[in-house]
Amino acid sequence: MPAGRRGPAAQSARRPPPLLPLLLLCVLGAPRAGSGAHTAVISPQDPTLLIGSSLQATCSVHGDPPGATAEGLYWTLNGRRLPPELSRVLNTSTLALALANLNGSRQQSGDNLVCHARDGSILAGSCLYVGLPPEKPFNISCWSKNMKDLTCRWTPGAHGETFLHTNYSLKYKLRWYGQDNTCEEYHTVGPHSCHIPKDLALFTPYEIWVEATNRLGSARSDVLTLDILDVVTTDPPPDVHVSRVGGLEDQLSVRWVSPPALKDFLFQAKYQIRYRVEDSVDWKVVDDVSNQTSCRLAGLKPGTVYFVQVRCNPFGIYGSKKAGIWSEWSHPTAASTPRSERPGPGGGACEPRGGEPSSGPVRRELKQFLGWLKKHAYCSNLSFRLYDQWRAWMQKSHKTRNQDEGILPSSRRGTARGPAR
Amino acid sequence: MSRREGSLAPQADSSVSLLPHLEAKIRQTHSLAHLLTKYAEQLLQEYVQLQGDPFGLPGFSPPRLPVAGLSAPAPSHAGLPVHERLRLDAAALAALPPLLDAVRRRQAELNPRAPRLLRRLEDAARQARALGAAVEALLAALGAANRGPRAEPPAAAAAATSASAASGVFPAKVLGLRVCGLYREWLSRTEGDLGQLLPGGPA
Repeated sequence: MPAGRRGPAAQSARRPPPLLPLLLLCVLGAPRAGSGAHTAVISPQDPTLLIGSSLQATCSVHGDPPGATAEGLYWTLNGRRLPPELSRVLNTSTLALALANLNGSRQQSGDNLVCHARDGSILAGSCLYVGLPPEKPFNISCWSKNMKDLTCRWTPGAHGETFLHTNYSLKYKLRWYGQDNTCEEYHTVGPHSCHIPKDLALFTPYEIWVEATNRLGSARSDVLTLDILDVVTTDPPPDVHVSRVGGLEDQLSVRWVSPPALKDFLFQAKYQIRYRVEDSVDWKVVDDVSNQTSCRLAGLKPGTVYFVQVRCNPFGIYGSKKAGIWSEWSHPTAASTPRSERPGPGGGACEPRGGEPSSGPVRRELKQFLGWLKKHAYCSNLSFRLYDQWRAWMQKSHKTRNQDEGILPSSRRGTARGPAR
Repeated sequence: MSRREGSLAPQADSSVSLLPHLEAKIRQTHSLAHLLTKYAEQLLQEYVQLQGDPFGLPGFSPPRLPVAGLSAPAPSHAGLPVHERLRLDAAALAALPPLLDAVRRRQAELNPRAPRLLRRLEDAARQARALGAAVEALLAALGAANRGPRAEPPAAAAAATSASAASGVFPAKVLGLRVCGLYREWLSRTEGDLGQLLPGGPA
């Protein structure tokens, strides 16, 4: 049996709506037949039932001439004629129906149970609401954008399928005082979400919960207690720029600006960078970018377009000890690494073949250093500075060597000297 | 404007210079009626889909419930003079908005997760009001408007007293279908009647 409190008796008819200008003159659940000769009443009207339960219903005919007979009447449910063995004539004017093991309602407006005259005309109808009471909503998570608002999301119990319209209401109150408040802006970030736009207090905890209600009952989630300052997120860092690092073919420089909404509070912001090759779906993430607004990516492929994104975690606002919530990623920014200038069969980013004039001990050492760098592609200014100098020297000496080879005989070729240091 | 059956001539001679303007207005109103007729079809389709079978099934023939203050166009409608037809069209269009609003309120309870249907019903009420006003303006320009106080559409309170007897969901679904059907019928009728005013004969 599903969890949650049961509402009013499951088989009670739905309470009539408040007075509405519905415009019917005389219906009483008994639409006139096409000829206007007979009407009928189905009982119960609009019952609410648990899945798997049974229903006993009657269709009582009355009209002119009196003594209208129940013979020939039949039932349909959602347009499908029900087997005659489910019906029986109770008396001359009443046809009964027995349905067992009911399935969940096909539509939220209710299953249409209709009583027909022999000629197929509709005498009366009743809508069945078959479903389950709601289960406890769970997994409430909330975040505040720049400490100005609060958005919460939750998961409905039983995967949300009650077969009945279930209303979810997010409630909140200050922990030690204050009245219950109800969130009013629903479905802001998905079907089970709500947004509280204003009038939120800082430095004091809130209690937040979700109430689910349908015709069969209600259920309440566990209470989540939080301080707004512990669930702050912000906008993605703006003005993300990606550029080459001089002629270095395997590096790109990324710069961004601290999110302006929190610029006066972001004393300990963390950042993350992710990047991928243009035609790949696999992102690489650079994690260790704390409180900086620039970073250099290394170990990249030469002559390749990269997409880069940055996001921010504004943790530690006003001394909060909690982790903070990552912003969305910034819009992708693209840049390309320079093409490799080393000679090779296809040009571009190819490694040189063995036996080429530039191969030798220095080239082998360069290859090893590059391999090590690819595994450790993080922002380390000290090592990059040295590496930049070394690479620049290598490229310059390689160019000079090639030029010499162009004018000198091959017997005069020698190995390149290593860096001066 | 040509002298043909169903056409109207402006009252004052000085309005001869207004004929092109009037003709443009007639065309515009006719186009509006044509567009709204299409919307009414879409509304009806969406409505029956959300009420569930048998509402959308071919051959579904629910009782034609009487609706306070509005009936379907009579068979004799087509035989009336065009100004009479347009007056009936305008009166029906004026009666439809509160009916459509009532259907929307009920559907908000029955189908709360159907925002498109609710929006279509809201739009339909507004559009019926606009087209009714446009038809009345045309009738006034043609000198065929009603003289004396205009009959008010059925008041919501009057309708509510008679509606209190009816609270079942199935009858409410049937009634909503009836109202949407009447809306489509009257729009189609208005489009046809306006078409008769266009130069070149009936649309």
